[in-house]
Amino acid sequence: MSPFLRRTRAMALKEFRHMARDPQVVLLALAMPLVLILVFGYGVSFDVEHVPLAVVDQDRTAESRAFARAFSAAGTFDVVATPDDPRAVEPLFRQSLARAALIIPEGFTRARARGEAATAQMLVDGSDNATATIALGYGDAIGLTLAQAELPRGLSAPLEARVRTMFNPSLRSAVFIVPGLIVLVLVIVSVMLTALTVAREYEQGSMEQLFSTPVGRLEIILGKLAPYFLLGLVQVLLVLVVGVTLFDVPLRGSVGLIFLAASIFLLGELTYGLVISIITRSQMVAAQIAAISTFLPALILSDFIFPIDNMPPPLRFVSSLLPPRYLVHALRSIMLRGNGLETIVSDLLPMAGFFAVMLLIATRRFRRTVA
Amino acid sequence: MRAEANPNVIEVEGLTRLFGDFRAVDDVNFQVRRGEIFGYLGANGAGKSTTIRMLCGLLAPTGGRATVAGADIAREPQRVKERIGYMSQKFSLYMDLSVVENLNFFASAYGLAGAERRARIGDALAQADLEGKGDLVTRDLAGGVRQRLALASALLHRPPIIFLDEPTAGVDPVARRGFWRVIRELSRAGTTIFVTTHHLDEAELCHRVGLMVDGKLVALDTPEGLKRTHVPGTMMSVGGQGEGRARNIAAAVTGAPGVLAVQPFGLRVHVRVDDRLAAPAAFGAFLASRGLPADDVEVVEPGLEDVFLALVQR
Repeated sequence: MSPFLRRTRAMALKEFRHMARDPQVVLLALAMPLVLILVFGYGVSFDVEHVPLAVVDQDRTAESRAFARAFSAAGTFDVVATPDDPRAVEPLFRQSLARAALIIPEGFTRARARGEAATAQMLVDGSDNATATIALGYGDAIGLTLAQAELPRGLSAPLEARVRTMFNPSLRSAVFIVPGLIVLVLVIVSVMLTALTVAREYEQGSMEQLFSTPVGRLEIILGKLAPYFLLGLVQVLLVLVVGVTLFDVPLRGSVGLIFLAASIFLLGELTYGLVISIITRSQMVAAQIAAISTFLPALILSDFIFPIDNMPPPLRFVSSLLPPRYLVHALRSIMLRGNGLETIVSDLLPMAGFFAVMLLIATRRFRRTVA
Repeated sequence: MRAEANPNVIEVEGLTRLFGDFRAVDDVNFQVRRGEIFGYLGANGAGKSTTIRMLCGLLAPTGGRATVAGADIAREPQRVKERIGYMSQKFSLYMDLSVVENLNFFASAYGLAGAERRARIGDALAQADLEGKGDLVTRDLAGGVRQRLALASALLHRPPIIFLDEPTAGVDPVARRGFWRVIRELSRAGTTIFVTTHHLDEAELCHRVGLMVDGKLVALDTPEGLKRTHVPGTMMSVGGQGEGRARNIAAAVTGAPGVLAVQPFGLRVHVRVDDRLAAPAAFGAFLASRGLPADDVEVVEPGLEDVFLALVQR
């Protein structure tokens, strides 16, 4: 073994032992992903279910009733009222008794029988924007499914152009939360821990002792990364297992690819944690900087919750400089779309670039700050 | 030049280190020979630690040059680090790791592996009287044991030179004595020891002592040589009854012909005199002439403390 590898391994072993002597840290690192995925998976749901629906069936045929039933059957809508008059809908909205209404006009069945466009009206309460948007989407999906199912072969019905949700047809939020959650978990725990390690050595004076040995800066940096890198991968595994078993998150692509993407992301973020630590030399300052500067981008600029496409250009530019969005994108691409390496290379490269820049800064700053 | 051919293992020429405008180390020159115990004395902030850090390749000098074990400290700090052991003032071991984990880490950091590493770790445990106690957590060791373990760990790679920065700060006197016994054994075996200390009794155990004042090396010699040069004459210890008495004696003899220096020393007064008053009879007559009783006078050996005071007050 080369001296470089031997010393790096010695550093890594030492860091592992520090970690092992501090079981609370490991516990925190493993409990955090579980808590987050349970909170996000069950608590923070973007799913819209049991939307109170008013059905106004003016057609009163077997077909119109079947159409209405299709809405209540999906579990998305609960039929709470069946007034005869469409004008009764607005009071129901005002009292929050209904959030959506389906109005099937007279002649719905006749129009379908003639092969004409049969139009039913969907009303939604726009004061709850999220519910409204999603309820509309569901409504569209149900209508389209029905129309296709009942279409005789070879006949084309004049259908309106409608959006169809692919890859996550019921728009379940756990499915798109898990990739974002992986990013969040990794930055919260791993970056925080690495940000503390170098500062701790400065504070307790051991950095000087380390520098008096032939152990080099790169060896210290790589050795310090190793245990937190592995811890991060365990966290990814944990989120994936819980996501798949508890929330039926699909794993359409390669698991190896997921770990490849997560690894590149982790290296960059962990080295960033070391940079903070090297510059601040104080555990308290490092912890605060790490928390703010990694958590917020991971939450806000990652496409996890807030779509990047809707952001003003300056914010979009900032998000393009930071790794979280690339990992979220890559993970969604692999897990939900089943994409391969060739499609996520454009996400891996910026993350690798971030790692390279951070490593450069870490070694540079380290050299300048010796004792 | 090969290190073996040169009797000096440390050579320092015009070594200078500035922090801004502050001259922490100012044009320092000295050589240390193989196997020597070289003591480095000085008040806090006099530049002792800065000198050690430069010699260990931890801090680049602003000016001058120095070689340690044949390696230039500015150009080859990595080679310096391979050939030295270093015990810093503030920290030497990881408190949360066990004894063996600490030794394993530092052994590997110095590039030891396999059977050699195991053997050296066994030696280190023996040296620190910790055989069979390798699984103890370092934090739980007594201060003195911890210091000896730190020393053993800094010696794992058998360096020809070891730098000790205030190694016995906060260690009890018994443990200090044990620590110095190890240092003398090392020196006899050919290891060069460069040690800074606050304890003047420890400085007496060094082969040579350098004294730093405000970044300058103001004196360098054997302890005896320092005393001869800087505390010449004969030291008389005059007893006094109570504080007022001692002060009276000091006031009465200061500045008299033949009196070189007067230094209060507890309840007594140390009066250093030249040959004119060196004989007990002459000194007794001198005291009597000043109206002082001459019944409580002893000749004492000057200590390094007297050297230190003489040089610092100059």
